[in-house]
Amino acid sequence: MRSIRRTLSVTLRPVLSGCAIAALAWSLDAAATGPEDRQAFFGETHVHTSWSLDAFALGNTLTTPADAYKYFKGEPIKHPLGFDVKIDTPLDWAGVTDHSEYAGVVNLANEPGSAVSKIPAAQPLILKARTKEEMERVALYAINTLASGPPVPALMSPEIAGTVWKRNVALADAANQPGKFTAFCSYEWTSMPNNMNLHRNIFFKDCAKVPTMPFSALDSKHPVDLWAWMDGQRKAGNDLLAISHNANLSDGRMFPTEVDSKGRPIDAAYAASRVRNEPLIEIKQLKGTSETHPLLSPTDEFASFEIMSVLLGNPPGRIPHIVGSYARQALKDGLSLEASKGFNPFKFGFGAASDSHNTAVPYRQDNFFGGHTFSDGTPEARMSGTLVGGMFDARTESTSGLTGVWADENTRASLFEGMKRKETFAVSGPHIQVRLFGGWKYSDAVLNAKDWVKQGYAKGVPMGGDLPPSSAKAPTFMVWAVKDPTSGNLDRIQIVKGWSKSGQSFEKIYDVVWAGERKADKRTGSLPPIGNTVDVENASFTNTIGAVELKTLWTDPEFDPSLHAFYYARVLEIPTPRWTTIQAKELGIAPPDVVAATVQERSWSSPIWYTPSAAALAAARRGTTVAELTKQGAVALNDAQLVALIVEKSIWLQNNVTGDKYMIIYGAQGKGAAAKPLTPSDSGFISQRLPAGQGQFQLRYVGSQTALQSFTGDAAEASYLGTSRPYSISNGRIATEFVGTPIEISVFKQGDKYLAARSDEFGFANYEIVPAEAQLNPLGAAPH
Amino acid sequence: MSPVSRAAIGRWLREPLVEFLLVGLLIFAGYQWLDQKTGRSDPQERIEFTPDDISQIRLAWLAQGREDPSPEELQHLVDARVREEILYREALALGLDQDDTIVRRRMAQKMEFLFEDVAALRDPTTEELEAWFDAHAGDFTLPARATFRHLYFSPDLRGVRAREDAVGVLAKLAGQPVDAAESATLGDPFMFQAYYADRSFDEIARNFGPGFAAALFEIAPGAWSGPIESGYGSHVVWVDDVTPARVPALASIEADVRRGWIEEQRTGIRQRAFEAMRARYEVVLPGDLDAADIESLGAIEAGRPESQP
Repeated sequence: MRSIRRTLSVTLRPVLSGCAIAALAWSLDAAATGPEDRQAFFGETHVHTSWSLDAFALGNTLTTPADAYKYFKGEPIKHPLGFDVKIDTPLDWAGVTDHSEYAGVVNLANEPGSAVSKIPAAQPLILKARTKEEMERVALYAINTLASGPPVPALMSPEIAGTVWKRNVALADAANQPGKFTAFCSYEWTSMPNNMNLHRNIFFKDCAKVPTMPFSALDSKHPVDLWAWMDGQRKAGNDLLAISHNANLSDGRMFPTEVDSKGRPIDAAYAASRVRNEPLIEIKQLKGTSETHPLLSPTDEFASFEIMSVLLGNPPGRIPHIVGSYARQALKDGLSLEASKGFNPFKFGFGAASDSHNTAVPYRQDNFFGGHTFSDGTPEARMSGTLVGGMFDARTESTSGLTGVWADENTRASLFEGMKRKETFAVSGPHIQVRLFGGWKYSDAVLNAKDWVKQGYAKGVPMGGDLPPSSAKAPTFMVWAVKDPTSGNLDRIQIVKGWSKSGQSFEKIYDVVWAGERKADKRTGSLPPIGNTVDVENASFTNTIGAVELKTLWTDPEFDPSLHAFYYARVLEIPTPRWTTIQAKELGIAPPDVVAATVQERSWSSPIWYTPSAAALAAARRGTTVAELTKQGAVALNDAQLVALIVEKSIWLQNNVTGDKYMIIYGAQGKGAAAKPLTPSDSGFISQRLPAGQGQFQLRYVGSQTALQSFTGDAAEASYLGTSRPYSISNGRIATEFVGTPIEISVFKQGDKYLAARSDEFGFANYEIVPAEAQLNPLGAAPH
Repeated sequence: MSPVSRAAIGRWLREPLVEFLLVGLLIFAGYQWLDQKTGRSDPQERIEFTPDDISQIRLAWLAQGREDPSPEELQHLVDARVREEILYREALALGLDQDDTIVRRRMAQKMEFLFEDVAALRDPTTEELEAWFDAHAGDFTLPARATFRHLYFSPDLRGVRAREDAVGVLAKLAGQPVDAAESATLGDPFMFQAYYADRSFDEIARNFGPGFAAALFEIAPGAWSGPIESGYGSHVVWVDDVTPARVPALASIEADVRRGWIEEQRTGIRQRAFEAMRARYEVVLPGDLDAADIESLGAIEAGRPESQP
């Protein structure tokens, strides 16, 4: 063994120094260029080979990271089911991210004579036959016992895990060709306490100093411990970064605003550690999108894109939480935390990836071959709605996304620095390039100049940056996008803005530039759809609508210099057939009714942030906090007082942040099994039968143009339809919920005023009981 | 092994007959061994360790990063090996090796390794490598490369007229030199480059789409041509230069060629050896493979088997 190691290091040394020389030559080349020469390099940050416990168990038994790199470079490789698969457009870079937990253990357990195959703990991992049932048995054992159970020390020895990691690093080095294709040393930290996905992919800046063993979820399942380990690595000269993924499967725990996974308060130290270690999040992959959810963004007509809301392993009786599971809300909460407490843990850029367990990755609707071996490996298995891992309908699986990095050159160092700068964007699959610059000095002349990119950098900041201190009334953004030459034309570019005021956060989507002769509605600002060339029966479309390139200058028309804000660009393609539509046609069946027949592929730029100056903050009026109210002698209402104030009453409230007024009807509280007849007359009509202490409330008189704070859902629709939600009173709070997440309201009496505070508004008491309105929109009054 | 004797063996091994005999010998040895096993009659079995065996045991111990074993430790290791050997032989006698997937797979794998060892026995000679390289030049071909400039006609600006306009401009430029297009603003601003130097087919396909790349390499250099279509619109193209796909000199890629040769030997020997063995077997399959599902397990045996050579 010793002599083998010696031979290896002897043969590797010339190769490595060759790489170093090549890398040096590249950086010399780049010295003459400025940031305006940066190019978009597309890469994969999340893929599994047979070395991942679950991938092997699922039937991906042969391929290694070397095959993954071959695939990304454009060579066909074998799908685990035996057929050839080939990438549509080869990639510029990639990192294979096999699970660090028991990496290679299943593979080695099934290698006769290997050390692992003799360990008793590994016996359940040995496939007794190569059948679907046997593979599922091993997969379930791997996932349920190993990945979620207590660590099995026998399988964690450095001889085993270290060997696989070393081979992974060697294969990344072998695939890395500076200037042509970059292969990163990377792995996945697979923490899933209580079936909540807290996974992170870890990327190292270079492979020369990687640790002998990766930090795995067996070492700790707490993100704060991972970050502490990463800090240690960085101190030792080994720079690295983490990319979280599938916030949408985190049960609300990817973006906590109150306590972390250890129960400790989210504080400045947590925020600093998170921001230092996690510059990026993966916003889209096979298992859905984590940008936002229609219930969180009811006014975003494009929010319903490849949504998947499940929990890992599908634990019976658990409903996944939406709140805390999506990036846009986290960005908004980050602003609120910054404004109210002085730190922002959620200042991240965007990337997208795959999470394929097939080694090969499907990126396109017309080249979709699933990501989970036999569960979704054939058109028949997919289109039969096979429940993948018992978790989700294969038809709801999405294509894989990619991460675009604006970098000087295609090398590890340059791409890594681009990721750290957050000068990145996510695409849903096609290579749609997007650029976003923010600043105070851009003009039409700059936009139309040949060197607009150079001026973009010189007079402002690129995506991922912070706006410099203000020097104009409002910030201006230059945004540009170009289509993928092998995909659909572009529909439009939008700017998504989020801001926070007195603990309430808001979002608004602006259509800023679009294809064709369309006019935005002058009152609502909303743009008519681009149209649709998709022939669903034939699963075809034409590029007769849409644009090749879109570019514009946009100044925020509603800018308030005293409020924290972020801006990111979203680029939409014209509608094209979804993979399910294409494969339904091939199988001669109807397109499935569980997903849309068409998609609008898209690209998301990383955000640019605005932070108000101390002077702007000082000059601003802001709401009253609960702490201030208490200090001023206001008294919190107890349960009996709350019952007397609201139950079986219709209350008029004003949101003091927006000035909007609306009514809430708080219905009677239930009395357990007792049915409540409607009195005084019609005693035969049972009007409700609610659990003791629970009532229903209903919102009234909310319009579609009302600026709605977070976690109100589609209040205009609820108001129009008359839908109701449950409430109860206990512990001095009105308890309600928002898609399963508790929201509590406390009410304070100050003189003859009643002020209310929602538990999700960072300590502010923003609501006031007001007299009933007689007219909602008196003519002649200023519209709000 | 001295270079002389190595070369001699190499020459010798090159003979297909010798290769065939070697594989045959392996098979023969296998049968001898099998016969020995089945013809077991000794009342007293013998387990004999040579000094080499003991060295092996020590080496395995050292390889795990430990100090030299003490006499007691060594005795334990030997005892463990004796125990393993006895249990192994008894297990064989009981037929425990039969129908065990792992054992079967491991033995089949060992056969494959044996074939590969045969392949790895020698290196190709220079002449052999050259001949093989000539026959497989296609696998080592460097892709064609092109240097070109283009005028872009944007459907965003011109709508459906983009192609017609390109045809019109091309008519004006026909027979003109390359710089004829320089001063005049004949095309539309292109979001990337107007000039691409020395790009491979794949690079061009990645930037413009595969259709554009294919069309570009059809164009004769030195004249305004087209228009050809990309995913972005129409392009009037001037190809400066095409470096045709070429096969590099053997000397510059000898290591790769050698790897390819060895890989082919390996695959070839595996294949031929397997075919030689396969020829001695008759495989009997049911007529309709699709009908054989799990429910009809009994039916397969009762069905009409069809013999296959």
